[in-house]
Order: sequence, then structure tokens, then C-alpha cells
Amino acid sequence: MGHSELTGELIPRHLNVRVIAKDNLETFLGGLREFGEVFGPVEKERGAYIYAQLTDVKNVVQDAQRTVLPPKKYLYPQKEELFRFSTQEGYRKPESVDKGRKILFGVHPCDIHGLSILDKVFAGRYHEPRYFDRRDNLIIIGMNCLPDERCFCYSMGTDWVEKGFDLFLTELEDSYFVKIGTSCGEDLVHAQAELFRPVTDEDIQLYKERVNERNKMFVNRVELANLPQILELEYESEVWEELGRKCLSCGACSAVCPTCYCYEVYDVLDLNVETGSRIRRWDACLFKDFAKVAGGHNFREERSTRVKHRFYHKQVTFVEEFGRPSCVGCGRCVTQCPAGINLIDVFKEIRGEKVVHKSAR
Amino acid sequence: MSKPKIGIFGLTSCAGDQLAILNCEDELLDIVGAVDIKSFIMAQSELKAVQDQMEDSRFDLALVEGAVVTDEDEKMLKKIRDNTKLLIAIGTCAAWGGIPASRNDLEREELYQIVYGRREDLFGCHKPRPLRDFVQVDFSLLGCPIEKEEILRAFSSLLHEDVPVLPTFPVCFECKLNENLCIFKEKDDLCHGSVTLAGCGARCPSHGVPCRGCRGPVDEANIPSVYHLMKEKGYPVADVERALRTFTYNAEIPQ
Repeated sequence: MGHSELTGELIPRHLNVRVIAKDNLETFLGGLREFGEVFGPVEKERGAYIYAQLTDVKNVVQDAQRTVLPPKKYLYPQKEELFRFSTQEGYRKPESVDKGRKILFGVHPCDIHGLSILDKVFAGRYHEPRYFDRRDNLIIIGMNCLPDERCFCYSMGTDWVEKGFDLFLTELEDSYFVKIGTSCGEDLVHAQAELFRPVTDEDIQLYKERVNERNKMFVNRVELANLPQILELEYESEVWEELGRKCLSCGACSAVCPTCYCYEVYDVLDLNVETGSRIRRWDACLFKDFAKVAGGHNFREERSTRVKHRFYHKQVTFVEEFGRPSCVGCGRCVTQCPAGINLIDVFKEIRGEKVVHKSAR
Repeated sequence: MSKPKIGIFGLTSCAGDQLAILNCEDELLDIVGAVDIKSFIMAQSELKAVQDQMEDSRFDLALVEGAVVTDEDEKMLKKIRDNTKLLIAIGTCAAWGGIPASRNDLEREELYQIVYGRREDLFGCHKPRPLRDFVQVDFSLLGCPIEKEEILRAFSSLLHEDVPVLPTFPVCFECKLNENLCIFKEKDDLCHGSVTLAGCGARCPSHGVPCRGCRGPVDEANIPSVYHLMKEKGYPVADVERALRTFTYNAEIPQ
């Protein structure tokens, strides 16, 4: 049984699934513009997918691999002005952020989990209204992707989603199995009901086969059991020194991480010496200045301590605070690290498993 | 409050950084409204010798472009330093020696012969060196040329008697914010984004061109790791080293 958020009523199971023919998908995406701006994965350059506005729905890549940046950029942009200030009027109450409704198509399960982790962080001790202004207006249409050699979501328990989406698509043969997650998702389907058909027994059979096949495709395994404890025990391990020698402190891993949320705040002043803006931009704990405080002291001066900090925050302290690692196994950091640091290998090494070192590629 | 007096000077260079200031077209009136530009040869119609201009006024701030290549450069730089409260090196030549210093591995005589052939009447010049080898430099704006945004932020911060807070991290981060495919990793090209100071918005990699390191090395640039990675990709060490030294010959490159 599914649960309708709008009415609180239980709706029969056979009503919250549908099937849409692949040929109808672009029409469906085009029709979604009635509800808001539509975004989805497009190929920016060969092999690089990004989420972008689908001004032409034909550009959407339905089976896109992980995008360079995760969906967080729509909730928490790379750089934004928080407010303006002036010597005459003082601090001006920040205007509400753009609340236009956005529909994000093609979000993989790991990224849906990533968003739910960011929700926890930004709803925590310091509630972040800008994030939720945007979050409340984001409609998620998930897509059941197939893993490549860099995915390890299966180990992180993020290969599958039960919630956090309005619609969720799984590829069958020439159609998609559509799970309706919310009443909003239901509205999206109803508005173009002619593009969908009810689910048949054959669809259900095929759907189950697909899900089973997919489960067998995950080649990477990271053993999570006891990992926080093992990391604690290996705090002084030589592995961190070695990583410190390799790491370029470029912050690429943080930029592309679906759950990295650290930011820097600074003021940009105008030439009139009267007014200015407060700016927030993404930051990264790998940067040398990240833990530098007034007086010049740096809590993590050595590069190795910064690399270590990133791993421990994801896998130890985040678990203590939120009950699960903040890593969702999307493989972005593995893909983007110019120095070829591979998180899966690092954990194997820490566990004392043999690692076959590959080149940077 | 009287407006701060400013001088903008060029030593041996292409003058591109001074031009970058003039290219702040929409903001030029705001700039001249905020500061009193006492010397800016490139923007002046009346050509009065810089030496004379310096006799006339003391500066609160001097922006100096270019490397120190000749005795005249050195003399002028010291004169500027004596006449200003703050001195900012603008551009990678002033901060690191830049392109003029890229062949500092060769002796001048050898370079003369390569470039001009055997001639006796050569102008006297030395190996190009950055300003800080001669005088105290209070701050540097990097780039070849410098970035408009950073010029404006430097001016506005200094007017507030503060130093501007500019990026201290590598170009890679800005490159990822722009969602580019990694040229170094995925396209096997010699890209220097990981050891180069950000602030350019990863302009070159965003246009598919590898970073050549024109903004100079980032603090804590992990050159040994980059060397290792590049060797692994099969680049001859000499190529890598030459590429790393293109803009910043005078930077220390740990092996």
C-alpha cells in the first residue's frame, strides 16, 4: 500500500504504479513544463553528464551515468549572494530565494539518498531556510540506473529507494515501470494520463527480473560492518601519510560529493565604501586554509590530516551523529580525483585486505 | 576623507595587466571616483616621465606590473617602493618572473645568440626576476593577465583598509564547479590545474584548453605527486618540468 501525503489516505497498491512507453517519455517531460522548469541529465561533452534545464527535451539522456555535480547544486548553489548591506541602512533582510518550482528528472537512488542526508544536515541544529525554500519546490523523478565499476552504493545501502521521490522509473523492455511516490507524483501522471497504462502481470514479472539482474551487477563491495571502529583503531595508520603524499588538496572530491556541504562566507565590498554583499561559496576540508583560525593557527596543517579528516567525517563522526555514513557510494570522488585516490581501495587497505594498485586511470 | 593616491606602473612586460585595469570599463568611473590616480602612463595622454611624476607625489598604493630585467627596472622599482605606503605586484611577471623568466635556465649571452644572432650592440639585461627579490611586496594579484574581479575586490578591500580575501586553492576546484571533464585524468593532457592558484574560474579548462599555470603555484602545490602522475602517463620529465616552469621559473619545484 502506498501513502498519499496530500490526503493521508491509503491508496491501493495497484494504483501507485504505472507504465509509460519509452516513446512517450519525451512528450511526458515536455508536458511537465506546466508544473515548473524541467531539468535532467544531458551530455555536456563526451562522457560528461550534467544536470541542466531541458529547454529541448530531446537533449535528455535517459540512461546517463553519474553527473559531474550532484543535484545539490539546485538547493545549495556553488556560489550565491546571501544579502546586501550598507553603512546607511545596515543589514538588509535577505530576500527570499527563487521559489520557482523545479522538476528534476533522472535522479539515481544514490543521489536521492544524498538529498535526504543533506536534508538532515540543513534541518539540524542550524536550520537553513534558503535550502528548504528550494527543497520544498523540487520535484524528484528518480531513475533506476545500472551500476558501473565505480559504483558502490550497494555496500552503502543506497542502491535502492523507498521514498524521497515523487516518481521513480525502472527500465523494462521498451517502457518504464513508474512508481508513484507522492500525491504530487500522482498529479504529474494524472495531468498526462493518456501517456500511461496500467501495470500488467507481465510487467510485474519483467520488473522483478530487472531488479534481480541489477542487484547482481554490483561488482564493488565495501564492508561497512565495524568500519567506524576499524577506522578509529587505524587512526595512526601509515595509510593516511601515504594518502597525504598523493593528495593534491584540490577539493574536487568535495565539490562533486552529493553530501559535502561545507561553505565559506566572505564579504565583497563595493568601490563606494558604502555597500557590499555577503557571499557564500562551497568550501572543501582538503584546502589548507579550511581549518585555519584567527591568529594563524591551523588545526589541520598537514595534508595527511585533512585527507584523514574527510574519510573520518564521512564514515565515523557522521555515523555517530546521524546513524549512517554520509557517503552514498555514487563513485564521483573516485571518478574525479586527479591523483587517482580510490576510496574503495583505501577502506580495503585499512581493513588489511590486499589491494591491487592500479594506475591513476 | 581624501582619496588615496595611486600609481600604476609597468616594468618589463607586455602591459597586459595595466590593460586589464583599463578593461574594467563599466567600473572605471567608480574607480576614479574612489581613488586619485596620480600616475598611469598607459592611460595618460600627456606623457610626463614617470620619474618626474614620482617627484611630484607620494603614493598610498602602487600597482607594479612586470619583471625586473634591466638596471632601469630595478632603479625604478626601488624608487616606487620609496614613494609608496603599499606596493602590490600585479600579474605573474611581477610575482614570479612570468614568461620573461621562462628560460632562466640559459645564460643571457646564449639567449642573445639564439634570438638576435652574434651582435655586439645589445641592451643590457639580466635574468628576469620577480619584484620581491628587490623590494618588499605587500600583496600580489596573480594571473596573465590579472582578473577584473580580483582587481575590483583588491581596490574595494584596500579602501576599507583591509586585504582582499582571494582563493588560495587550486584551479581544479573551480573546474569541477563548472562541471568539466578532467583534462588531466580523462583526456591525458598536461593540465596544471591541480597545482595552480584558482581565481580565474578555470577559464581555460572550461574551454577545453589545459591549464598552463599562468596564475602561479598554489600554496602547498604537491609537485612530487603531480610528477609521479605525469610520469605514469608517459610524459618525459623534461616536458613536465618545462611546462611547470613556463610562468614561474623562479618558483621552487620540489623533486
